[in-house]
Amino acid sequence: MFAFGGGYDPGRASHTVLLELRRTVKQHPAVQHASGEPSGQFTRVTVMLVPSILGREVEEATLTIRWYTGESANSDPEFAFHYSDSSGFDCGWHYEPNPHVNGWGHFQERESADDEYRYETITFGSLQPIPLLWEIFDRLDDRLSGS
Amino acid sequence: MTDSPGAESWKKHQSAFDRVRSVAVTVSEPRSANWIAEQAHVAGNTARDHLQRLVEMNVLQTSTGDGATHYAPDPLYTRMQALRDLLDGRDRDGLLQLRGELQEQVEEWQTKYDADSPSDLRDKAARASTAAETQEMRRTANDWDIIAYRLRLVEDAIEHYSDYAGSSPVTA
Repeated sequence: MFAFGGGYDPGRASHTVLLELRRTVKQHPAVQHASGEPSGQFTRVTVMLVPSILGREVEEATLTIRWYTGESANSDPEFAFHYSDSSGFDCGWHYEPNPHVNGWGHFQERESADDEYRYETITFGSLQPIPLLWEIFDRLDDRLSGS
Repeated sequence: MTDSPGAESWKKHQSAFDRVRSVAVTVSEPRSANWIAEQAHVAGNTARDHLQRLVEMNVLQTSTGDGATHYAPDPLYTRMQALRDLLDGRDRDGLLQLRGELQEQVEEWQTKYDADSPSDLRDKAARASTAAETQEMRRTANDWDIIAYRLRLVEDAIEHYSDYAGSSPVTA
């Protein structure tokens, strides 16, 4: 996470987190496959899910993860964990500057690409990538089982 | 912390060692064993034992701050992991092609936003006319930082390809 000269490099720090997210997410039972996308660029992690484990009767379900550690070592990260499936439904937990809610943390969802997103402010238990990954799976499970 | 969302599932599917490792290799600044223990849902002494092993494995390095030992990823380990990922399934021609693609992406952003660097683009994002534009430009600036790092890694991998890929040098 630190340049050889001891400085903070947001590209290095963010890429390291994305590699670790790709590695760790495979431990979750609902995960079929995880890859760095776009191929070669690796600016996000795309996770293919097993919909039936999440209680969804759809053919395909995906979780897309973006993570940026921030411009300086003590900045807040910017991230998004966004779920979508072949029914057209999508929802996500985001933490980034946005015009929809006060503050950075929010949840957004819509039933189909033709609908407008509904936004709500949320707070997270942790802003560390790996603990948060498991928190998001918990939240996703709650959201999908409640739908 | 044990009641925080996701903790039970995480503990069920990843060992204490893996949880400590995952947290410690993704910190942005050096952190104490107690801080890492809290994040990884392990006891302080358990975290210290695992962190010591990770230091011995050269995954982490230590520093001293506020009278306590702090842990951060070893930059050599971080770089090796990233290079390994680049070299998996890519030969030298593949690396050359990737370098071209990454350079092309950067040039596209430079032209599209008339920006020299990710920080220049962030400055422009702050002055964009709509909130949606600001958001899109910030996301692009973040991606640009990551791609600039990938580009430096690819250059390294190309320059030292025979060393990293393990192929034998040609002898006269």
